[in-house]
Order: sequence, then structure tokens, then C-alpha cells
Amino acid sequence: MPSLPDTAKAPVPEQRKGGPVVSVRDVEHTYGGRGRGAESVTALGPVSLEIPAGEFLVLVGPSGCGKSTLLRLIAGFERASSGEVEVFGERPEPGNQAGIVFQQPRLFPWRTVGDNVGLALKYAGVPRPERAERTAELLERVGLADTAGRRIWQISGGQQQRVAIARALAGGKRLLLLDEPFAALDALTRERLQEDLRTVSAETGTTSVFVTHSVDEAVFLGTRTVVLSARPGRVALDIPIGLPRTGTGPDELRGLPEYAALRAEIGTAVRDAAR
Amino acid sequence: MTTPTSVRKRVADAAAPAPVPAGRRPERGARRRRVGLRLVALAALLALWQLVIVLQLWSPVLVPSPAAVWRALLETSGTHDGVRGYQGHTLIEHLGISLRRIFIGAGAGVVAGLVVGVLMGTLPWVRVVLEPAVAFLRTLPPLAYFSLLIIWFGIDEAPKLWLLAIAAMPPVAVATASAVASAPTALVEAARAIGARRGQVVTSVVLPSALPEILVGVRLAFGIAYSSVVAAETVNGLPGIGGLIRDAQRYNQSDTVVLGLFAIGISGLLIDAGLRVLSDRLAPWRRHA
Repeated sequence: MPSLPDTAKAPVPEQRKGGPVVSVRDVEHTYGGRGRGAESVTALGPVSLEIPAGEFLVLVGPSGCGKSTLLRLIAGFERASSGEVEVFGERPEPGNQAGIVFQQPRLFPWRTVGDNVGLALKYAGVPRPERAERTAELLERVGLADTAGRRIWQISGGQQQRVAIARALAGGKRLLLLDEPFAALDALTRERLQEDLRTVSAETGTTSVFVTHSVDEAVFLGTRTVVLSARPGRVALDIPIGLPRTGTGPDELRGLPEYAALRAEIGTAVRDAAR
Repeated sequence: MTTPTSVRKRVADAAAPAPVPAGRRPERGARRRRVGLRLVALAALLALWQLVIVLQLWSPVLVPSPAAVWRALLETSGTHDGVRGYQGHTLIEHLGISLRRIFIGAGAGVVAGLVVGVLMGTLPWVRVVLEPAVAFLRTLPPLAYFSLLIIWFGIDEAPKLWLLAIAAMPPVAVATASAVASAPTALVEAARAIGARRGQVVTSVVLPSALPEILVGVRLAFGIAYSSVVAAETVNGLPGIGGLIRDAQRYNQSDTVVLGLFAIGISGLLIDAGLRVLSDRLAPWRRHA
């Protein structure tokens, strides 16, 4: 085969080699405004953000600040009106770069718990003979061993969200996007899931972006918190969370003076942002 | 990768599933009472019928007695005085032939309705083109286009099956199109999030989520086919339950007509109940949504 001139080869993007996992550059997002006389609403931006590998970034902000929009842009469900979003140096496409957990479990009720996870394995290209074992592993990892045969309506809301997390992990992606995944759960269940997610995340080191409106959740889960201002959402505060990731129990962690200080600082920023 | 023991233990004792209600036990008493009430109502109706006969309010030619209908049942179910059933076929055979027509004709209509409905639900231009045609077909009384079918296909099985297929197609097409078009966005996105391609979204989300509504359309289609079978059997309908009713009418055999009505009504109820059980089986999540 004749050698092509160098320029014809796709250059390897810088991001591929040790660059950020997610790169958001001058992104703005506008809804509506296409029809005659229709008014457009700028929901987000301009926002610039880089998320390096291994980071657990929590996006916090008042309702309507565009934090979910930003996550949907990173997931590839929507295209930015202007600016650029890159994930692993590529234009994001749903199912290609990231595992996604939504606010509602969004499980398929016509499939059993195990088959919900198994479908994700199938689409991830895992051959059929390996799926049962991998499904069992994934379910055990989210604390749901031996539930594979259950129907969706036979398990609790918290367990459904655990299955949704297992399904998101099934693709083996190096990025996990979570859109207020615990917001619809009762307080007790939410705390348990927060603790388990923190443990699993510290173990695997998967890069994560987590959207919430809870300041406590941000401090507890993240290694970094970004506060977005009210519409149109812009970065109001970008702060690292330097709390220990392992070896500290949840109560002990919440008792640390740094924890309280971070909570206070982020809480103030969120309140200011809401104005 | 394993779960940390702390996680596993906590989950084991805390996140135990909500107890699954065992069947529908508490409803059982209410159900028995409902069945009982229906039986009482049925008995009352029969008694009223008998009373009308005893009082001789109308001529027995207009209102046959329960005993006469019963006799008609016995006569049409066996061979009497060398005559087998009604016009050479027993009641069950007449009914069976009609049911066979319904299953073949309406079955073909259901399949056609599914195809048309999926196309209408997924491709907007197909919907724009076919929606008025389907609606037009739906408003036509089957007896109206039966004449044309006879001119085209003669008077044997073909026009009857075509009639039932055409009658059964629209409700399935309409139900399928609307269910497919309104596939839940949340679940479509969830499928895309795990890497489903376009066709895979259709098979993994759109069709299963549409299934309950499609099955309602199928039940409707069989209902319409059932009420059209008598129309389909107005011409050269013997053997067939509709043909039996038409033929008996010509000789003022009201007892046989009433018997035919019962045969159609009861078998129709049974088939509808069967379809309902089937749709509960095929789409069990529907009751838990």
C-alpha cells in the first residue's frame, strides 16, 4: 500500500495521552428559539472545564442552573449550541465513552434484574457464554448478589438504582456520568448508596461526573466540586475536596472539621449562585 | 472486583426487598362474591324469560322458550330422524368453521396491522400517507365492502377471509402506531446509554413497551372480527354459525336463531378472556407499572 502523506493520517489528539478525560471549552447551550417569534433560553454557559482521569467531580447548583444539561452534553445526548465538548478526545456519543446513571433507574420492566445487566453486556460486545458470570459479578459489586432472577417490581427503589449502577458499569467504560441518581430515594437509602458509591469509586478509580443539588452529597462524594450559578449556568466555584478517600468511616468523615468547612464554603457559594 | 464486606453486610440486612404480595389473595373473597352475584343475576334473567313464556305475552315464534332453545341445542348437536345437526353439520361444527375463519382472517389482519402500525409509528411520512387510509377503512361497515369482495373473489372462502382481515387490520394498526410512536424517551435514552444502535433500540425498548397496547388492539380486532363474521356469512355462509342464523331466520326458527346468538356470544367471551390472560402473561409488568 502506498504511503500516504503524513497530513492524511488522523493526528492522535493530545487528550488521548494523559490529557483530560472530559474537556469542555466555551460551551453554551440554548433551548428553543427556532420557530418564528419563539424566544430562546440560554440554559448554560459559557463554561470551560477539564476533568482529569481518576477525578470524582460533583456538579452542584440551584435548580435550572444547567448542571443536568452539562451532563447530557458530556453524555452526547445533546450537542452544544456553541463551544466544544470532547470525551477521551472524541465527540461524545451515548453508549460510546461513558456509563450513565439517571435520576430514575430507567430499568426495562420486561426484563429481569439480571437480563437488564445482561443486555448492557451484550451491547458492550461481551460474548453470550460469559454474560451470566459477569452479570453475577456486577450485581455482587453493587451489593445485590442473588437477585438476577427477580422482576424489577419485586425489588425496592434503592435496589433498582443499584441495578442501574451495575448496568452503567457493565460497559466497562472509564467514565461514569451520574445525574442526581439518589435524589428520588428516601434519606436512609440515599446515605447507604452514597457510602457504597464512595467505596466502589475509591476502589476502581473510575473518573466520574456526578450532578446533585445537595451540598452534603458534593462534599461527601467528590474529589472536586464545581458550583454552577443560576441560569445561564456558569462556574461560580471550583474547589478540590481533599478528604481521605479510604479508611475513614462515613460518620468519622462527616465529623472532620475540614468537612464542615467545605460544606460551609460550598453552601455559601450555592446560595450566592441562586441569587 | 468484589464488594467490600462492609457494603455486603449492610446491604444484606438493610436493603431487604419489600415483601412481595403473595398472588392476589386479599382480592379472592371479593372475587368470589362478584362471581356469585353474576350467577344470581343470570338465574334471575332465566327465570324472567321463563315467566314471559308462561304468561304467554308473545307468540313462541317471536320469543322461543328456554326449553325450545335447549331442544334446538340437542337437535343441532346430534343426529335426529336421520338428519345430522343443522343442514348436515352439528352446532359445534358450524361454530368451529366460523372460528377457523375468524382465526385465519383476523389473524392475517392482525399481522398486517402490526406491520403497518410499526411503519407508521417509526416513519413519519408513512404515517402521513397511511393514516387517512386506515381511518377511512375503519369507518366502513364490513357489510359495505363485502359486496365488492364478492365481485372480486366469488362466494367461497376468499371473500369471507378478506372481510375479516380488512375489519381486523385498522384497530391493530392504530394501536401499534400510537404505542410505537410514544415509546418512553427515558427508556430509549437508557438503551442508547448502554450502546444500543437504532435497530436495537426498536427491539429492546420500542416493541416491548408497545406490547401491552398492541395486545389491546388485538383484542379489539378479534372483537370486531367476531361481530363481522355474521356479515361475512350472509352469502353462502353454510356451514358456519352466521350462516346457520341466517338460514334459520328464513324459516322463522327463532329457537335456532337464539341458540346461534348464544353460541357466538359465549365463544366470543371465552376468546376475549383467553386473550386477556395471554396479555397478562406476555406483559406482566403492566400490572406493576
